[in-house]
Amino acid sequence: MTANNNQNAEALKKSAKKQSPWAIARRKLLRNKLAMISISFLVLVTILSFLAPYIAPFDPFRVDITNRNAMPSGTHWLGTDNSGRDIVSLLLYGGRTSLTIGFVSMMAVVLIGTTVGSIAGFYGGWVDAVLMRFTDFVMNFPFLVFVIVLASIFRDAGIWALIIVISLLGWTGAARVVRSKTMSEKENEYVMAAISIGGTPFKIIRKHLLPNVMTTIIVQATLLLAVMIVAETALSFLGFGVPSGTPSWGNMLQEARQPHVIRSMWWIWIPPAFAITFTILSINFIGEGIKDAFNPKSVR
Amino acid sequence: MSNNEKLLEIKNLHTGFDIEGKTYHAVKDVSFDVKSKEVVCVVGESGCGKSVMSLSIMDLLPKHNGKIDKGQILFQGKDLVPLNTKEMNSIRGKDISMIFQEPMTALNPVLTIGFQMDEVLINHTKLKIEDIRKKSISLLKQVGISRGEQIVHEYPHQLSGGMRQRVVIAMAIACQPKLLIADEPTTALDVTVQAQILELIQNIQEEVGMAVLMITHDLGVVAEMADRVVVMYAGQVVEESDVDRIFYNPQHPYTKALLNSIPRLEEEQEELNTIKGIVPSLKNMPLEGCRFVDRCPEAMPECKKITPRLGETEEGHSVRCILYDASRPKSEGEVRL
Repeated sequence: MTANNNQNAEALKKSAKKQSPWAIARRKLLRNKLAMISISFLVLVTILSFLAPYIAPFDPFRVDITNRNAMPSGTHWLGTDNSGRDIVSLLLYGGRTSLTIGFVSMMAVVLIGTTVGSIAGFYGGWVDAVLMRFTDFVMNFPFLVFVIVLASIFRDAGIWALIIVISLLGWTGAARVVRSKTMSEKENEYVMAAISIGGTPFKIIRKHLLPNVMTTIIVQATLLLAVMIVAETALSFLGFGVPSGTPSWGNMLQEARQPHVIRSMWWIWIPPAFAITFTILSINFIGEGIKDAFNPKSVR
Repeated sequence: MSNNEKLLEIKNLHTGFDIEGKTYHAVKDVSFDVKSKEVVCVVGESGCGKSVMSLSIMDLLPKHNGKIDKGQILFQGKDLVPLNTKEMNSIRGKDISMIFQEPMTALNPVLTIGFQMDEVLINHTKLKIEDIRKKSISLLKQVGISRGEQIVHEYPHQLSGGMRQRVVIAMAIACQPKLLIADEPTTALDVTVQAQILELIQNIQEEVGMAVLMITHDLGVVAEMADRVVVMYAGQVVEESDVDRIFYNPQHPYTKALLNSIPRLEEEQEELNTIKGIVPSLKNMPLEGCRFVDRCPEAMPECKKITPRLGETEEGHSVRCILYDASRPKSEGEVRL
């Protein structure tokens, strides 16, 4: 009898779950072809990158002076670079670096941005004023100069220095978006109702406001992931990002700064350029797809 | 009834809003009390300060510009006005709880009904989480929702307006409050559901033994529910008495006009009776004299000069109108309130 009841309860829970806003959005996203193709592509790239140590044909650090700038061939599918390193292996290891930087700094940025934004938006008044002026202050730092200086100082720390620096400077946009969404969300009567049953401010932010702001945060996070990967690439291309010994997509592109590489050695710079372009493109399509899925007005 | 039975006592409450550096009082000098297990209805047009008064009790005024300027709100003899948020939180939802006008918006759209109901009990009791869920389901049964086990897993958008209001009521009575504030609980519902919800509130009031402070502009609701009636106009109490005397022997011209504007089935009328004009806005409130003077059918020249006070014309019946001697200021020095 009790077992039967439990089973019943489980079934009820399951059928009700199908109607949750999350489930509805998930169904919409699954029907969005472009987003699904993009997700598959991103997942594939991520898996390949993180499996680099097992599947890469060569050691990406192995310098082979006799075999510099080799054309694509049977042994080196995409040729070798200036120092004779295998491009395919570099691409795989580089993807690991670039994606790690992208994902970790995106998480950090979302965390800082959400905390600052939701507190500022919920409390308003002087709390809001102080936090937002601080946000403006950080936003006004010349990003590139700051990152270049800090990254040069902490060069020994490798990619983690870069992650910390771009996270500490990159959260401002997310904070503003979360703040404005929180402000419009807290005008709803359910917030007043939550206060009227004795909820503390922290609880109300966590349990009532954040779930409602979550859709905005997820969309922001996807777009930020793309921004962070681009930031890594741009900085590395300029020679101030990932230390030059570590392979990354940006570092690979760095070689294309030399005119003769651009002109006659396409196999050195086309593969990383395509990897970056398609990864960013797919991330942006995913972001758009998620935004669409959470929009109650879209029918797709 | 003796004094110690007073559950809620509002004394000279002044609630104001800061607009462009000036304070405008939406509630000006309101005093009345609610005894335990009593249903008190506050009636008046839109913009009379009824809702602001009820939000003042719960300390839910908009933080950026609303504030209680003067006065006391005594709940079981303890003044709520000076309490901080933490102390208020231990009272809100436990001893005093509130039902809102719009059941559509009073529930969080992305959380399940069960999650939201559990929260009241999590806030105020030390029960285990499984017991809390059981209690939530039994509360839903108490408000007439039989599919409780299923509803707790559903989202607000899956329920009808009447069901949501039942959920809101279930949340409000979860901790067996001593006072329930209902701010126009039936306004957003259709007529057939209105009657059910009122009946539910009445039954629960008897079961739980709580007092109800009902804010409404529907005199039908008042006749149905109230023990006592407080008539508010432009932020002031203009008449207060028990329900029979308000309906059969109204004294203030505003109360008379309100009652007169209810259409009666037995009379054939070409037009509905209305009260001319609108409630003066906060910025245009007359500084002295009666606030109803411009719309009053019985206005006299001196109404614009003498500010009436709330006086008892007979035991348990107070009026604020200089037609009655009790409302005239006692001495010249008291002309301005």
